[in-house]
Amino acid sequence: MNIPKVWNKRNRVLLKELTKTDFKLRYQGSVLGYLWALLRPLLMFAILYVVFAKLLRFGSDIPHYPVYLLTGTVLWSFFTECCSQGIQAVVARSDLIRKISFPKYIVVISATLTAVINVLINLVVIIIFALLNGVTPSWSWLLVPILIGELYLFALGIALFLGSINVKYRDISSIWEVLTQALFYAVPIIYPITMIASTSSLAAKIILIDPIAQVIQDIRWSLITKEAVTTAGFVGLGGELFAIALVLVVLIVGAIVFRRRSKFFSEEI
Amino acid sequence: MPKRVIGTRIEAPDPSSDVAIRVENLHKSFRLPTERSWGLKQAIFNRLRGIKGYKDQQVLRGINFDVKKGEFLGIVGRNGSGKSTLLKILSGIYYPSAGSVVVNGTLVPFIELGVGFNPELTGRENVYLNGAMLGFSNSEIDAMYDDIVKFAELEEFMDQKLKNYSSGMQVRLAFSIAIRAKGDILILDEVLAVGDAAFQKKCNDYFESLHGNQTVILVTHSMENVEKFCDRAILIENGEIACEGSPEKVTKAYLKLWS
Repeated sequence: MNIPKVWNKRNRVLLKELTKTDFKLRYQGSVLGYLWALLRPLLMFAILYVVFAKLLRFGSDIPHYPVYLLTGTVLWSFFTECCSQGIQAVVARSDLIRKISFPKYIVVISATLTAVINVLINLVVIIIFALLNGVTPSWSWLLVPILIGELYLFALGIALFLGSINVKYRDISSIWEVLTQALFYAVPIIYPITMIASTSSLAAKIILIDPIAQVIQDIRWSLITKEAVTTAGFVGLGGELFAIALVLVVLIVGAIVFRRRSKFFSEEI
Repeated sequence: MPKRVIGTRIEAPDPSSDVAIRVENLHKSFRLPTERSWGLKQAIFNRLRGIKGYKDQQVLRGINFDVKKGEFLGIVGRNGSGKSTLLKILSGIYYPSAGSVVVNGTLVPFIELGVGFNPELTGRENVYLNGAMLGFSNSEIDAMYDDIVKFAELEEFMDQKLKNYSSGMQVRLAFSIAIRAKGDILILDEVLAVGDAAFQKKCNDYFESLHGNQTVILVTHSMENVEKFCDRAILIENGEIACEGSPEKVTKAYLKLWS
């Protein structure tokens, strides 16, 4: 693919305008408006915190557990929002696709960029929360944007792949919704990974080679505490590389499938 | 999924050639789902039983024509004859099933006015959004914004949401953006019929101003417009060119379809 041609001025302007529109329309007609983007992960965090940290006493051995939990919920919200918006994007923008010719990947990226803006604002909230909680700033904080980028590419790959199939088989978005619910428990968000490791080291290793778990644990390690169990630390460097390779494979396969199928979107939609 | 054979559509700028668009042996067929093959269950089911789950509908069967630079070409035909499909292939919205389309220069299609218009956005926001769809940058729209608003006669309404516009106002706004579009080739589908009598006159004046300076392909049902604007016309019937030549000859052939 010819990158300079694909990334030309017209496409950049289009991406910017579509993202602006998505962003404006998302929270229209709600009293709190954009605040919901911040409130959703915070409220989800509050519920999980009360149930798991206070009632079930999870994470008492982890320093700064509330920040630890908040980081997990924010990143999880980011991942699921990117995937679900991205998978729906082509169908949601059928009005444009039927009437004008433009590179279809633009609608997927514009739909997911709203989630990127949200996670960056939430990141500021996490940092304030972390400082209040007594976390000391460190150079490793600089790794966080790179790791968020990795998670974004993974979500984008999934969105391109499933989104292109969803045009013809609308079941995909429903299946993905259920899968997301299951996946939530397969990622160490509410429970500390050490809890799994104490019963089965193998199960913990399998969980940690998933790129979502790898990113979440790496961000917890960089941002909050060096005691956080990471893929590299627990599974080894091979595990970390496997997770990163998986992200790239999903992204490349997703892009190829999307590119091939996008020629027929305007007819199938 | 069986592999589909596809034709080509390329944009090849060639200033030395006097042909703006060359269409050769163009075919298009659509896959229409036969029974309810919408959904994953049916797709798997069909595959297991060896059912295709769709039938091919031939819409265009071997179309050939050239459009010269500066020519105003009319395309006419009955409903369902394949005109709109042809237009969408020229515009790059559909891919040809076989054959080729070569576009020499930039092409601006108006299959419909106001692509991307959103009722929840203001008139101003919609101008920028629609402009981006047509390939304008923000600074280009900044420069022509006042002209667009003035031509549409909507000076007092630009900060209102589009959903509060009457349908006539929406069409006027869309048309006013559309006519700013600068491309080597314009493709227009029935957009002449907008607005009230006064606005129609403005539109007609605009089309007259294009005549001779701009390559235009116009799809219409109005034989009056074909004779008034076009240098040449094509009649499409059943996905094939039934008649090609002067506007008078083609309008006669068109009217004969019903006799």
